[in-house]
Amino acid sequence: MSDRLRAFYGQIIALAIALALGALIIVLIDESPINVFMTLVRGAFGDQSKIAGTLLQTTPILICGIAACIGLRGGMFNVGIEGQLFLGGFAAAWVGFALPLPAGLHVVVGMVAAVLAGAAWVAIPAYFRARYNTNEVVSTILSNYVAVLLTSYFTIFLFKRPGGWSETPPILPTAYLPELFSFSRLNWGLVIGLALALFVAWFFRQTAKGYSISMVGSAPKFAEYGGIDVKRQGFLVLLASGAVGGLAGGVETLGVHHRFMEGFAPGFGFDGLIAALLANGSPIVTIFTALFFGALRNGSLLLETDTSASREIITVIQALIILSVSAQVLMKRRGDSTAGERRWKF
Amino acid sequence: MEVLDKLLNVALLVATLRTTAPILLVALGGSFTTKAGIFNIGLEGQMLVGAFFAVLGSIWSGSALIGVACGIAAALVFALAFAVLVVSFRANEVVVGLALNILAGGMTISLMKAIFGTRGSIVGQKIVGLPKVQIPGARDLLGSWAPLISGYTPMVYVAFIAVPLLVLFYKRTRLGLYIRVVGEKPEAAEALGISITRVRYTASLLCGLLAGLAGAHLSLGYITMFTENMSSGRGFMAVAILIFSAGDPLKVLAGCLLFGFADAFSLRLQTFGFPSYLILAVPYLVALVALFALSYRSRPRIIRETLESMKKMLSVETKPAETGSNHPR
Repeated sequence: MSDRLRAFYGQIIALAIALALGALIIVLIDESPINVFMTLVRGAFGDQSKIAGTLLQTTPILICGIAACIGLRGGMFNVGIEGQLFLGGFAAAWVGFALPLPAGLHVVVGMVAAVLAGAAWVAIPAYFRARYNTNEVVSTILSNYVAVLLTSYFTIFLFKRPGGWSETPPILPTAYLPELFSFSRLNWGLVIGLALALFVAWFFRQTAKGYSISMVGSAPKFAEYGGIDVKRQGFLVLLASGAVGGLAGGVETLGVHHRFMEGFAPGFGFDGLIAALLANGSPIVTIFTALFFGALRNGSLLLETDTSASREIITVIQALIILSVSAQVLMKRRGDSTAGERRWKF
Repeated sequence: MEVLDKLLNVALLVATLRTTAPILLVALGGSFTTKAGIFNIGLEGQMLVGAFFAVLGSIWSGSALIGVACGIAAALVFALAFAVLVVSFRANEVVVGLALNILAGGMTISLMKAIFGTRGSIVGQKIVGLPKVQIPGARDLLGSWAPLISGYTPMVYVAFIAVPLLVLFYKRTRLGLYIRVVGEKPEAAEALGISITRVRYTASLLCGLLAGLAGAHLSLGYITMFTENMSSGRGFMAVAILIFSAGDPLKVLAGCLLFGFADAFSLRLQTFGFPSYLILAVPYLVALVALFALSYRSRPRIIRETLESMKKMLSVETKPAETGSNHPR
């Protein structure tokens, strides 16, 4: 317990260091940290619609975070969530505008398309990771760039809305993900995300399959001696992670934008990965870290108009938090001096 | 034939060398960390801050050289942060690398807004670019082939000269040997009394130096401007090259030339009216295909050995089975 307590205090100190560094940078760009902080809070929680906006931003970060959690638990770094999100978003939008289906079924088919597209997009990197141990970090990062360019190509050259900018035709109303309130675009995606987080947490805690995945993630040698097919499982873990990444895209296009637009979801995949890392791979904790990042993101919109700071200052703060948390400030033993196996855990 | 002539000529070779230079510089930088046993995904960010501060330094001082120095200094700061976290604090190298990349992206955009009040890019503003180096006598010697060796910005020469220097560095110098030992057998290094910490710090800083040069080349070389995320994945491509070359300078050069060619060739294709989005994806696809195709060599040794013995057995009866080499069943 004292180790856990120490780790907890360590995280708090790390957070304080990150915020201090963030404040320093804000001073350097000639802004008052307090002003920036207050603006962020006002922008994130100022009134009813601001809170709804925060939750709206939280949704994709949460789903992407769950995708990252699945990978991290199984010892896989899926840095390609961004790409899976784009592919999933496009696939759902395509179903939405090209396949007339009855209401209800239409949404489900769109979501399934998004899930399949996400899984398909990660399938090749996953295959090579499982089979030949090809570094999945690099292959998934590089496939992000391809995914963004490919969906842009689809959108602009094959399915452009006549007379529109770089976007597809709008999806049919039957494919809309229902909204939760009348005053915001907040929709059932949030509920899907929360349910998914609970399900994944249950899966890892209560099922044998979940246990064996965690085992491969934390002690692959042990798991292999224990008779687990590590390769096959690694492949499936990345596939599942990619599928959830695709789902995040589907929620965005069917729930929020109702069409696919070029650059419709900037950085959600990376935010999700960071949220999952900060939560140490726990889907339940990811709900809160995703909410934190969602609030930062929504607050930053006000930052752009009300202060001279740029909204990208929040990515600086996010990166600083991750960096200082990763340094395990209070850990006594940081491992032996020779390079052992450094896993993703902080 | 005419189409081929238009596609493949001296200008294409020149363009290949030109586009190879920045990725070669950053990949050679990464060779230090790779050889020292560190997986450095943070190259992208180091390159990006290098590019940004090179432009900043160039505007403030009016000198391209000071600009380059500023770019290097910024990349070194990032490399130092990487080393402190990964080596001293034993943080996860992938997490730290990715976070530093995100930090670099956010920081450059924030600073751009704070200093220039603009979003997107810094153009004009009295940015002083690097001069082009004309090699005397090149035209007399080579005639129309002269652009192959003359008229590049200095960084191109630095990049290509660095390759043999690095080969010598790893083979002949004490530090080069230390770096290799630390990477390959850290236990042996420790037994020999080599400070692993110091060697890894040195390798990381050397990496920052070259990544900063690469960034400066991006923003002060052939185009004198900075745009947000202008390194556009070159750092990640460099990491892909480093994975299949294991940091070996000559193999790094070969990999980088492949990318330079893919880059130059795809730019050439664009003039033929292919959709630009697909063309832009070509370098990333080349990186992915190369990564996958070459990773078959690094598969577990047992599989390789079984396959080789099977090949030998097969070759007694028929020709060596070439077709199955990439996808063993």
